[in-house]
Amino acid sequence: MKNGVPEEVHISRMKGFGLRVLAEGSWGFAASVDVTKSEVVKVARKAVTIARASAKVNKKPVSLRNLEAKKANYSTPVRKDPFKIPLDEKMGILMEAERIIAKQSPLIKVSYSFFRTKREKKLLMSTEGTEIHQQIIWCGGGLMAVAIKNGEVQRRSYPSSFRGNFSTSGYEFFESLKLTQEAKKVGQEALQLLGAERCPSATKDLIITGDQLALQIHESCGHPTELDRALGMEADYAGTSFLTPDKLDTFRYGSKKVNIVADATVPGGLGTFGYDDEGIPAKKIYLVKEGVFVGYQSSRETAALLGLKESSGGMRADSPLKLPLIRMTNINLLEGDWKAEELIEDTRDGILMQTNRSWSIDDRRLNFQFGAEIGWKVKRGSREGMVRNPTYTGITPQFWGSCDAISKDDWMMWGTPNCGKGVPGQVMYVGHGCGSARFKKTQVGLIK
Amino acid sequence: MTTKRLLEIAKNTMEQALEQDGVNQVQVAAFQVNSALTRYANSQIHQNVASKRGGIAIKVVAGQKIGNLLVNSLEKAQIKDAVSSAVKVARVTPPNKDFKSLPEPTKWAPIKDAYHKETTECTPDYRAERVKEAIDAAHSKSQLVRAVAGSFSIESLAFAVVNSLGISAWTEVAIASIQTTVISKSANSQGFSSEEQYSRKVGDIDAAKVGRQAAEKSIRSVNPCKIPIGEYEVVLSPRAVATLFMYLGYMSFSATSYQDGQSFVKYNLGKRVFDKKLNAYDDPRNLRTLYKFPIDGEGVPKVKIQLVVEGRVSEKSICYDSFTAGKEGRMSTGHALPPIFGFRGRPMPFNILIASGDASEEEMIQETKRGLFITRFHYTNPVEPSKAILTGLTRDGTFLIEDGELTKPVVNLRYTDSMLSALKIVPMLGKDLEILEDVTAPAMKLEKLRFTGVTEH
Repeated sequence: MKNGVPEEVHISRMKGFGLRVLAEGSWGFAASVDVTKSEVVKVARKAVTIARASAKVNKKPVSLRNLEAKKANYSTPVRKDPFKIPLDEKMGILMEAERIIAKQSPLIKVSYSFFRTKREKKLLMSTEGTEIHQQIIWCGGGLMAVAIKNGEVQRRSYPSSFRGNFSTSGYEFFESLKLTQEAKKVGQEALQLLGAERCPSATKDLIITGDQLALQIHESCGHPTELDRALGMEADYAGTSFLTPDKLDTFRYGSKKVNIVADATVPGGLGTFGYDDEGIPAKKIYLVKEGVFVGYQSSRETAALLGLKESSGGMRADSPLKLPLIRMTNINLLEGDWKAEELIEDTRDGILMQTNRSWSIDDRRLNFQFGAEIGWKVKRGSREGMVRNPTYTGITPQFWGSCDAISKDDWMMWGTPNCGKGVPGQVMYVGHGCGSARFKKTQVGLIK
Repeated sequence: MTTKRLLEIAKNTMEQALEQDGVNQVQVAAFQVNSALTRYANSQIHQNVASKRGGIAIKVVAGQKIGNLLVNSLEKAQIKDAVSSAVKVARVTPPNKDFKSLPEPTKWAPIKDAYHKETTECTPDYRAERVKEAIDAAHSKSQLVRAVAGSFSIESLAFAVVNSLGISAWTEVAIASIQTTVISKSANSQGFSSEEQYSRKVGDIDAAKVGRQAAEKSIRSVNPCKIPIGEYEVVLSPRAVATLFMYLGYMSFSATSYQDGQSFVKYNLGKRVFDKKLNAYDDPRNLRTLYKFPIDGEGVPKVKIQLVVEGRVSEKSICYDSFTAGKEGRMSTGHALPPIFGFRGRPMPFNILIASGDASEEEMIQETKRGLFITRFHYTNPVEPSKAILTGLTRDGTFLIEDGELTKPVVNLRYTDSMLSALKIVPMLGKDLEILEDVTAPAMKLEKLRFTGVTEH
């Protein structure tokens, strides 16, 4: 919805199949939306022809880590099926939330509200004997207000930017967001930002709340621990990784407080499922333990290439027409031992930032710069004054090395439904569990 | 043949929808996309795929109530179900007072040279052979070349649009492309570079040349040195220029961002915001643009838009679809996104051409006392869209220019700058245009670009 009316109401459907074949030691993949017997035969032949063509430019045959083939079923537990909730009920909530936002001031020129849900039914079968039926359902939504005065444009979102927060859950998750209750604050903060002072350019202690920290984890830990990147398989597009295989188990990624896992089993995580698209059961593995880089997200092929015992179980395709790739599941920063409020109380001179507004990181995932929607100065243990256009920048291991406090009481799952990767491009839904955290002596504000 | 079949499906679907009670306008776009892509890394093929997808995007209008549905299927039963769902959505949706009407038919003409059969008939073996040529050419340049990565892609895109006001239009484009990244290594340092080529004719793709050129620059980029952050004169390759204009197109020249007050154009109408030498337009009929669709996703003929005229922007710089145009009582400029890109999204230009100048890349370097040559930008994103502030990093070959010569590679840098400042003074423009997907661009010399960070490679 935009400005209280549905700009577009969309329903999108896809049915199709894809075949990944290994022939002469090389991969071929072909897919179609035309689900007929004759098309299946045609596509299967095409996949084999493609694999044989691959073999002509292949130095070493593909090797895979073993798989215990399973016949299984998995379904996202949902209390209320989001597809059975009447459309007008969903739109009613969004319209009411936007009415409240608009009421705050005529300076709010644009408001948006979102509801989105997806149901994915998958059947994975393989010549190794795998037969796995899965139904994954996720849903969620959010709000955004844009306030404009004299060419200054400020925006505020809830519960997170880029259309809100999402979870592998039923409609009950959307209800739990309580959009109408939060709408007034969203509108008011957008207005307050118009009059806030610009974020200073300085070195300060930085406190990041979970909705921004989720993207920090995503970009600076999630992507660089993908083993296909580390092995150069994404070099032509998103890039490689500073976490090269020689650093495994020895490299200090962050401070001892930092523990990060890839966990496809966490309830409600947007990257939660039963089995990955190679038939590996969902699992939890450590990527960073007490600050040391200890694990990669991998596939059966990349695990074999690096001599790892097994795949981490993160191979997923965003549609039947795409090849499975190593994708984040839920990349979670484990709880620390602080309360979120204590992070502020313990900070003498800092900036608190909330909700992502812009992001950028280099092709090895070292130099990053993030912008947040809103910030506050923190002086002698309390918030003192809002700042607009807050940004911060750093180098990944130095930044995580400066992490001296992680909260426990505001830890929650954040869902990112728009993680891009691969050529041809794929968009995957992934999750990040975290609360707030503090990073000492960080460069904040745009460098002049 | 594909477009004829798609047109028939679109017409049949529209007729089904018009039979439903309360429906007074209908638009249907039927589409089909055939893709094949061979991807390589570590100097061998590691992903090799082909897919066929097709479907319809239907818009049902009941008064000012609108229902949209996209189904990725051309099966009759699926389409029938889609029509029924779209009508149901329209019935329960509150009216959108900004919606005036679907577009009226306007005369359109197909574009010659958009579709070449030999491109779509390219086989997996042909792709593998070209990939091998790129890899071999790169390795033959030097022992320092350690790995070659990239992709060779073929895509045919077809769609047909009809609406109940009489629009009936269709188009088909085939695209071939290659992108190659070469990684070199000496002692403890890696060097990177990349080259790419796009054409509607697969036979034009010179894989060996692309591999060779990427290797030459990659070898030169090992052992980079760190330089301090600050403002530098820069010579941008056409690829780097294309990235900046692609973002400007999306965030500044779209009617959606203009109407929402988030485009710098809104606050600078009639002003000379860029260098007087800068002229940019969006034109699907230009010989040098890639996606030669004569019509947009609503079947409206695409109009040539003067995005920047001698550095000035104006109301004429804005790209509209029928919805955004209706809000201002204007005619659509034909910039609704085609259904092959998914849902409607915002209208935007993707046939951007920047007028060429008269300098070669070498002359730009020769005229630079101390500056940087930038091959490519990475992970560019808007920081403050209304001020056209972008951030991103350099990648794949960044070199220091001293006294008119490329002297050494430098460690990649982060830029954060407003394009209103960066493009204010453009001392030199390249004479050669390069087609780079949505944008066709020359090389460009900027008097200054602000670098705010440095990375470690």
